[in-house]
Amino acid sequence: MTAIAVGSGPAQRSALARARVWIANPWGRARFLVLISWAYAISSILPVIIAIQFSFNSGRSVSAWQGFSLTKWYWGDPTNSVWNDPTLQSALIQSLKLAGLDMAIATPLGVMLALGLARWRGYGSGPANFLMLFPLVTPEIVMGVSLYLVFLYLFTFIHPSTAAQVLGHVTFSLSYVVVIIRGRLFSIGRQYEEAAADLGATPWETLRLVLLPLLMPAIFSSLMIVFAISIDDFVISQWLSCGAGCDTIPIRIYSATRGAPLPSVNALAAIMVYFTLAALVAAYLLFRYLTRGERPAGGHGGATSMVGDMGAF
Amino acid sequence: MATRANGDVELQELVKSYGPVRAVDNINLHIPAGEFFSLLGSSGCGKTTTLRMIAGFEKPTHGKILLDGVDMTETPPHKRHVNTVFQSYALFPHLNVSDNVAFGLRRAKVEASEVKRRVAEALELVQLTGFEKRKPVQMSGGQQQRVALARALVLKPAVLLLDEPLGALDAKLRKQLQIELKTLQEQVGITFIYVTHDQEEALTMSDRIAVMSHGKVEQVAPPQQMYEEPATVFVADFLGVSNLMPAEARGDDGRGRCRVKLDSFDLLAGRGDSSASGATKVTIRPERVRLEAQGSAGENRIPAMVERWVYLGNSVQLIVRLATGQVIQVLIQNSGDEIPFVQGTPVQAYFPAEALRVLIDTEALAPPMKGQAAATA
Repeated sequence: MTAIAVGSGPAQRSALARARVWIANPWGRARFLVLISWAYAISSILPVIIAIQFSFNSGRSVSAWQGFSLTKWYWGDPTNSVWNDPTLQSALIQSLKLAGLDMAIATPLGVMLALGLARWRGYGSGPANFLMLFPLVTPEIVMGVSLYLVFLYLFTFIHPSTAAQVLGHVTFSLSYVVVIIRGRLFSIGRQYEEAAADLGATPWETLRLVLLPLLMPAIFSSLMIVFAISIDDFVISQWLSCGAGCDTIPIRIYSATRGAPLPSVNALAAIMVYFTLAALVAAYLLFRYLTRGERPAGGHGGATSMVGDMGAF
Repeated sequence: MATRANGDVELQELVKSYGPVRAVDNINLHIPAGEFFSLLGSSGCGKTTTLRMIAGFEKPTHGKILLDGVDMTETPPHKRHVNTVFQSYALFPHLNVSDNVAFGLRRAKVEASEVKRRVAEALELVQLTGFEKRKPVQMSGGQQQRVALARALVLKPAVLLLDEPLGALDAKLRKQLQIELKTLQEQVGITFIYVTHDQEEALTMSDRIAVMSHGKVEQVAPPQQMYEEPATVFVADFLGVSNLMPAEARGDDGRGRCRVKLDSFDLLAGRGDSSASGATKVTIRPERVRLEAQGSAGENRIPAMVERWVYLGNSVQLIVRLATGQVIQVLIQNSGDEIPFVQGTPVQAYFPAEALRVLIDTEALAPPMKGQAAATA
């Protein structure tokens, strides 16, 4: 006993001490921070990974793993796969339709609003800029209810429908576009507009040849953000829904999990994740590509300025 | 590029107010065609605002801007035949060098082959042939500066406006580009209006300089005259003219000289505005001060004490404290003879009237004038 204690004590202590030194590592990489970051990343991603994993389950359970099937719940199963179940398929189409329309309407509208607000000097510009940010701080449920009541009592010609859902999504996502575009406008300043005017460009030419190309990265960021906001919106879509025909992916998933869920719901959720991820990756790559001329080799920019532009809110 | 006969700029009673602040306060200037004209002043003096009004980016609150006799105060910037080289260059980051330079020509609907020829010509002028396909970010500050210059010059403007174009460059490159800019201006022969806070830059390059302060023009003169014959206290101070001494001016003595009182000593100043009166400053160049033995008699003499003696080779610099308490510099040519004024020698400082200049103190004049201007505006 004593012999063992004597023999293993120093060895244990030195192992512990070594582990402490390895983690604390005051002169090298901050390993403790790295550990925490990884722990956080894993804890937040793990549930999503598990959910996606079960979309590849070959059995009908969403909790017991019964083997791997790549396509069964996506399109393989003739009745219950996402592709073949009409309710899931229509939810997918409805979500994509809403996201597409939202992108097509909110982005150009937001760009124009941002241009107007950023270049508007004088009385009224302050309150207008503040009001523009209002939807960002309004809880979504409040927004949903308000829109519902407005359509019910005030603008009665708009019935709960796809159109109402699009209006709701545009209202909600517009501020994000404005904030992103305005951030970019402020960071590029007025100098390029003045230079263009100085060189004889009309205001329209300045917008087309100078401002829009310089805003492109922010416009793409906006498109992707709008897509991401719209595709996983639940509250507004639900309030303005016309019933089963207006169900989006989140609504469909919500009601399916309250019944007897099949892995096809996981597949539907997984598809949403794929879309969102693809949108973010595309936004990042496009931003890198479009701002390549503004980045000195090895200097700042790129991801940083994308975070700067996108993180303006 | 062909020499243009036009490019004559006239500013008439130009005023720019931001609320109660007058950034530019009643400027009248005439800049003839082909001149290298500098607006010199410290930051906030209104020089950039003046330039931006000529470019058309700011609308004057009052007054007119004439180009070749035609009023262009209401003309938007894209219709003015002037071009600007911005302090930040403002090269379009999404376009390469050649497209940047061609931008203005294409807006003017110049034929493609002509665009190509003129872009090549402009790039050759600024020694950047071979850089056509580079993006601005891939170039050094000096090269970007040249692209900005080429982009403006390629349009053959009547007037080129330059807003501290060398401000972002290091000292060595500045010196080199100063000379290049001046050569270029003589070569193309167009009017340059150059804004700078660097007096050396202005003195080196300009045909004429306007020194500005608080939105007003203090003095307009060629570099040498500006330096040697400053009219106002501000100009003398700004250009670092030595031996500025506070004095009380008391008007003309009847023979074109101004009676000035330094402390308790009455002097006569033969240069500057002889009718000046009130608190101001007088100045004399160090080599014009004469030191005499203590107690020598005559006008314009003040007892003094040699405080420091600095051997400069061809001359000797003496730091002298006057009985008024003022410390001045005196330069004595080294003629080989021994200079008898060692440190601690009491002497008599003689300021010849024909070398003593009385200045106008615009700072002291400013408050009543501002009030008057505000009342009439």
